[in-house]
Amino acid sequence: MDVAVNEPAVAIAGCGAITALGIGIEPLQRALPAGTSGLRNRECTVGKTRQAIIAGWVTGETLDQLRASDPGHAGSRAFLFARAALKQAGQNAGNLLDSVPPSKRGLVLSTTKAGIDALEKLVRHLPCSPMAQRHIQPAWLAADLAVACAAGGPVQCVSAACISGLLAIQQGVALIRRNLADVVFVAGVDLISDFVLAGFVSLKSLDPEGCRPFDKARIGLSLGEGAGAILLARCDLLPSPSVRVSGWGTSNDANHLTGPSRDGSGLVLAIFRALARAGVAPDSIDYINAHGTGTPYNDNMEALALRAVFGRRVPPFSSSKGMLGHTLGAAGILETILCLAAMQAQLLPGTPRLRERDPAAPESLLDHSRPASGLRRILKINCGFGGTNGALVLERELP
Amino acid sequence: MNPPAILAASYLGPEGHGNDLTGLRAWPASLNEALQRGELDGLHWSLVSDSDPSRFARMDLMCRLGLMAAELLDAGFDAMPEARRERIGVCVETFAGSLDTDIRFAQTPRPSIFAYTLPSTVIGEICIRYRLKGPVLCLVSADAAGNNAAVEAAEWLKLGDAGACLCLSCEALDRKTAVAAGLPGHLPPDGWHACALLIGGREGAPRERPFAAGSLVEICRKLCSKPKRAC
Repeated sequence: MDVAVNEPAVAIAGCGAITALGIGIEPLQRALPAGTSGLRNRECTVGKTRQAIIAGWVTGETLDQLRASDPGHAGSRAFLFARAALKQAGQNAGNLLDSVPPSKRGLVLSTTKAGIDALEKLVRHLPCSPMAQRHIQPAWLAADLAVACAAGGPVQCVSAACISGLLAIQQGVALIRRNLADVVFVAGVDLISDFVLAGFVSLKSLDPEGCRPFDKARIGLSLGEGAGAILLARCDLLPSPSVRVSGWGTSNDANHLTGPSRDGSGLVLAIFRALARAGVAPDSIDYINAHGTGTPYNDNMEALALRAVFGRRVPPFSSSKGMLGHTLGAAGILETILCLAAMQAQLLPGTPRLRERDPAAPESLLDHSRPASGLRRILKINCGFGGTNGALVLERELP
Repeated sequence: MNPPAILAASYLGPEGHGNDLTGLRAWPASLNEALQRGELDGLHWSLVSDSDPSRFARMDLMCRLGLMAAELLDAGFDAMPEARRERIGVCVETFAGSLDTDIRFAQTPRPSIFAYTLPSTVIGEICIRYRLKGPVLCLVSADAAGNNAAVEAAEWLKLGDAGACLCLSCEALDRKTAVAAGLPGHLPPDGWHACALLIGGREGAPRERPFAAGSLVEICRKLCSKPKRAC
């Protein structure tokens, strides 16, 4: 793998989030030590059946607060969530943006279904605002978010199932490394809509009791919704040591559309690619934030892949899906934000909602959060429909 | 890494279907009228291949078109060693994405089509058929010309992330479906197409041509309109 010596290193300058736990990254930081879960029960109509769904719903209170602070959002929930998260990411970066002209600000959006709730209204002949109809199209949602962020540089939209978030970060890094931008807003957003619920219910993928990643009795996932945003920047623009995105890699299983490869070999490829790009050995990883959906096949596959890469010494690892649910196109970004929070707090996050660990999982599975000194390098992994696998290496710079 | 070169190109669109060796062939008369109107349901695997159509039959329009474009490349993936296929990436760019299937699923949710409500599913289908395991990317872009896919793929080659890359631009939103759902504005401005470009390092292969970034649609249409054999 070639090393491009003249390309700038890229770090994370700011974050923002709208999740089941509330507005901002503070609720996520507070939830990490205790492993608080934001999953809640809500009565829904799925198809023609009324049923209770446990998921990471953005609460009505959060929605009211967002609408009150942004009365002109014109009816697209996806835009409302993503814009709020992006605004926080910009503010969280201090005065960085003051020195970056709009032409050097890029934006990459990650989403699987963008404003799909508007399509549901259209096919049912319900009223739907022009803005909401526009945001069915992910590229137009990205364009409108770029305008909202005064990002006049390159704009991209990534939609690659559940690795979209990690791919969007990778693309944001690429735009900076190619000198097309000095900073890049990366946002991930997805909603729990009737459309998405109908799909996962029809595939029998949901756990009626709520997801239990890496649990012996796990039977499925829980969906989540919301938005995550990070602001990427050239390292030399940042005043103090930060967290760099030092490695990335993707792969395809070439095996099955909706299920992971049984042996984890595709994920192994993605992890090795990310480690090679970062120029680090497996034993330098301090913590792994797994995809960990809670489906029997996914978690088994990840356990196999981790053993294949790390052998008997799998670093401490956990899943965050029990905290926020599976937020699909936002997952890679929100879980990266959780990794940053863990580094900041020097904490190894546990696995919320885990009751009895699966004996097939490596012993280093973290059931509860615990303090960790010297937490410096984190591997973040995600996998998705279509056999896609993604891996990212995050590295805290030393002062 | 040698400078990137075009190793193969294919195109399907209202004008016909073919690759950079065969040139474009006209559609059968029985299909042509509907295809010119942007009604794509009649497209069938047998138009491009003699192989087993069973998997094709369950796919949505986007995957059908994308896989037909990949098959039309006639790139010899099956004969390549596994180590080489492990380093072939797939980069897809689309505007309409899976909207055709989204509309159908929103009208009648069926588990068999849910997996196709993602624009990236075509990557999975291509990778499964040709056993490709390299890097993947799916971009949804406001222009339907595929201006970014080949740029991103060339970057993978430059960085050594992939040895070759199949780039695909695919627009497969059936006009009747879009209009019935009240979304005519979401139709790609230049209608439907699927075109594939295989790029890799220069090795002096007979089909090889110099690569320059640009619209995937224009590059593929041009190469397939002026096939190598006729040069």
